[in-house]
Amino acid sequence: MSLSFHAGTRGKKGAFQAAKPYLFLLPMLVFAAGFVYYPFLKTCLQSVSIVNFRGEITGFAGFDNYLYLFGRRREFGIALENTFKLTLINVPVTVVLTLLLGYICCRPHPFHRAYETMFALPMVVSMAAISLIFKVLFNPSVGFVNYALGIQSGWYEDRHTAMGGILMLTVWMGVGFNFLLFLSAFRAVPKDALGCAKLDGAGPLRILLKIQLPLISPTILYVVCTNLILAMMTSGPILILTQGGPSRSTMTLIFFMYTSGYNSSNYSLAACVSVVTFLLTFLFTFLLFTMEKRKVHYQ
Amino acid sequence: MSKAFLKKVWETALGVLCLLLGCVLLFPLFYGLMGAFKTPAEFIAYPPTVLPQSFANLQNFEAVFTQAPMLRYFWNTLLVSTLSAGVRMMLALLAAYAFAFYEFKGKRFLFFLILSTMMLPADTLVITNYQTVSRLGLLDTYLGIAVVSFVGASQMFMLRQQFMASPAPIRDAALIDGCGDVRFIAFILTPMSSSVLATLFLQSFITQWNAYLWPLLVTNKTEMRTVQIGITMLTTLEGTNYETVLAGAAVVVIPAALLFLVLRKSITRTVGGGAIVG
Amino acid sequence: MKKRFSFLIALMLLCALFPVSRAETVKLTFWHSMSEGAGTLIDGYVKQFNETVGKKQGIEVEAVFQGQYAEAVSKMKNILFGKQYDVLPDVMQLDATGKVPYAAAETAYPIGAALQDHPDADLSVFLAPAMANWQLAGEQLGLPFATSTTVLYYNKTALEAAGFDAPKTLDDIGALSSLAADGVAVYASIPNTPLLANWLGQLGSDLVNRHNGTEGSATELACVENGALASFLTAWKNLYATGALVNQNSSGDEFAAGRQLLMTESTSKVASILKKIDGRFELGIAPYPQVSADSAAGATVSGSCLVMFDHGDERKNAAWTFLQYLTGAEIQADFAAKTGYLPANKGAAESEVWQALIREYPQYQVGLSQLAVTPDTMRSVTVGPAADFYYAIINDISDMLDQNLTAEETVELMVGDLGGMLEQYALANP
Repeated sequence: MSLSFHAGTRGKKGAFQAAKPYLFLLPMLVFAAGFVYYPFLKTCLQSVSIVNFRGEITGFAGFDNYLYLFGRRREFGIALENTFKLTLINVPVTVVLTLLLGYICCRPHPFHRAYETMFALPMVVSMAAISLIFKVLFNPSVGFVNYALGIQSGWYEDRHTAMGGILMLTVWMGVGFNFLLFLSAFRAVPKDALGCAKLDGAGPLRILLKIQLPLISPTILYVVCTNLILAMMTSGPILILTQGGPSRSTMTLIFFMYTSGYNSSNYSLAACVSVVTFLLTFLFTFLLFTMEKRKVHYQ
Repeated sequence: MSKAFLKKVWETALGVLCLLLGCVLLFPLFYGLMGAFKTPAEFIAYPPTVLPQSFANLQNFEAVFTQAPMLRYFWNTLLVSTLSAGVRMMLALLAAYAFAFYEFKGKRFLFFLILSTMMLPADTLVITNYQTVSRLGLLDTYLGIAVVSFVGASQMFMLRQQFMASPAPIRDAALIDGCGDVRFIAFILTPMSSSVLATLFLQSFITQWNAYLWPLLVTNKTEMRTVQIGITMLTTLEGTNYETVLAGAAVVVIPAALLFLVLRKSITRTVGGGAIVG
Repeated sequence: MKKRFSFLIALMLLCALFPVSRAETVKLTFWHSMSEGAGTLIDGYVKQFNETVGKKQGIEVEAVFQGQYAEAVSKMKNILFGKQYDVLPDVMQLDATGKVPYAAAETAYPIGAALQDHPDADLSVFLAPAMANWQLAGEQLGLPFATSTTVLYYNKTALEAAGFDAPKTLDDIGALSSLAADGVAVYASIPNTPLLANWLGQLGSDLVNRHNGTEGSATELACVENGALASFLTAWKNLYATGALVNQNSSGDEFAAGRQLLMTESTSKVASILKKIDGRFELGIAPYPQVSADSAAGATVSGSCLVMFDHGDERKNAAWTFLQYLTGAEIQADFAAKTGYLPANKGAAESEVWQALIREYPQYQVGLSQLAVTPDTMRSVTVGPAADFYYAIINDISDMLDQNLTAEETVELMVGDLGGMLEQYALANP
């Protein structure tokens, strides 16, 4: 991290060197400005404006939209709680599960080609297709799962289990990609580091904790962050499986934004939810990064 | 019994266990695939069955190809997904390189600025982006479908992690040799990170392959449509005919799965990162 | 490839510079939301039009699927927001959620305007309730194309075996509670906007004011002071207490599998449900249940209509010709017979195709007869915050049963939720 390219001579070449990192960032920033920042600024503007059903800004609202959201929409509190719940469970479960799979698969056992492919395969399936399959499998009255297990769970039709069902699906969808990342990370741990530790007589657990985990910590940070962000944005499976029900038990922030905002011609409400979700997600991500310096080990 | 034999048994047991776990994980997919061979009545029959009565019932698959010009859709989606994933990876690679190897003013700010693009729900951006894309005259073009997915903050972030974890000697050696940026990226960084690059490319490709709402929004002509729209043409409001939809999903997933199998080797290779030092 | 592109661009430039001197055929675009079987039918009708009427009058129509209704409406809204009117089609299929944005569109070409251009057109051939469904603030927006209504599907075999007739009222459904056993439910449902509006309509009340939002933007609930909402909720609670009602949405699969004896569904599902049942039991169809024996019967119209956009006189005239074709007796009869939608054109109901169908499957007739007895005053609901409304109704009524709230408490809850939404909408859209 301490490398610096400033050593060059002053003048044109020095200025070029100094500008270089910005040039590398430029292409991405240009597209981000056009297709992310600009629309989001418009969203921010809408959140403090009166917006009619045709999406036109007709007046300034100050914080009235936010006050309406916080004060008069009881769904907002529910959605906030549900989203937190989903995130708080989804992230650790996904991370631990895929980390474990990656660890087990690190050394090739018999049939490793087969099961590595199996663990990774969920990533190729579209969200819509797998949601549909889960919907059919977990139908309380005619679904295969209740029949095979001989139980009568309501799954997505029961307010106590619906969120669990959504979690099951979101974890399933995340397995493939995160597993592959951990697998690469574990396999990239230098053999000599492991060899040295073994010579020192360290057991597998000690090697895992003291050598492997620190060495793959950059990947762990990535997986935790991206899953946190994805979990905060959950809406697709909910749209297909539960529509926020039963009794709002699976209503998430983004689903709320979608139905009560965009699908109900309430663009300023949608903008407010979007801004609030963004700020919360950003805050959580930022907090995670404060741990980067202490806990994440870059060689 | 010898220690070596015991170890072999243990290893095999682990392998079998993993295999079983994989089967459980993939059961929903298997169930869905089997559903594609069922008739409407069979599909909802109670008690439910996993296997269809007959694998010769291919009428759902026939429907997939008669309902929409599916081959054309495959071609479109292939082009768009390659374009999207390609550009996305290029931009992410450059940005990650800057973040991992350079010190500059506003680095942390810019990093979070890019990262924040992940934290905005797509629905928030759609209305404005539609206007932008249509003003640029990109409706009904491949570029119009792909352009909104060029920014891959997630890929940038992962590559940054990967590069920062690369062994310090490599960077120092390369710099002392006076290796230019482009050459360093192309000949040292890329091969060294090929496993992660392949994983990220695959992920980007699949994301675009499975995109639905945006491609529907920016295409008005049938001949510019993508595969996921083809699947929607199989669903009905009159009653979800799962069988046909699943047949569609099964057909559509094949190219993505093939790409995975092609990239599998480079993704799961066992070479450690340290091996390249030299 | 590159050559071809530059050629295309040059061609486009040429076209822009020299507006073609009146093309021989008028090209129309038709956006629809009919997928699967119905989508194939649409393609067939368009082809048929192009080969017959179109050929004679120099019109060529291209049909393009634009996603399900919600997606097509969202697409239309996006185009209208960006004022990209050129992109809009000449004829488009819309469901009720598209009414408000379409009516406000600058390039809309509603039926009223078309009638001024074609004064000889006769709209009395359409069923009155189907026509009324596509009016907003006194203006006829489009013509009915895929018309349906909600009816009661029942498992005739199971009910007859137990000695029951088709239930007519919620009380009758409650009387079936003894049939619930072993994972087989009698009736599973949670009322949503159209279902609730039906039941309130039977009690002589609208759900929201301004005649369910059809005569202007609704501002408040219209079923509170007259007690209609409370009476319905009480009836619903009583039904739940009998054990015949399961507080869950049902997809139709449970019914077709024989695991649920009743369901309230759109008539448009008849064909696909019959296919799923596949002779497992005999399907019975009865009119939409009444809240009580002394309430009115009937249910509102749902489905979709065809609307037009203005792209100049030539295309407008051609669009009108095409619209007449698709809503004509011949196509309506064929479409109805093959899907389960109701023929909104009176001529279609008298056609041999339809008559032959109801001889074989008398079930198809129930929806049509129901529309005939449905009070004229019953209108489907049009509100700005449509999706919000829909889910709030489902969730609040589900909460009532789940948390054992009284009808009065639930009314209060709904006034807060639904009334608040309308109020907020009115603030932003004065």
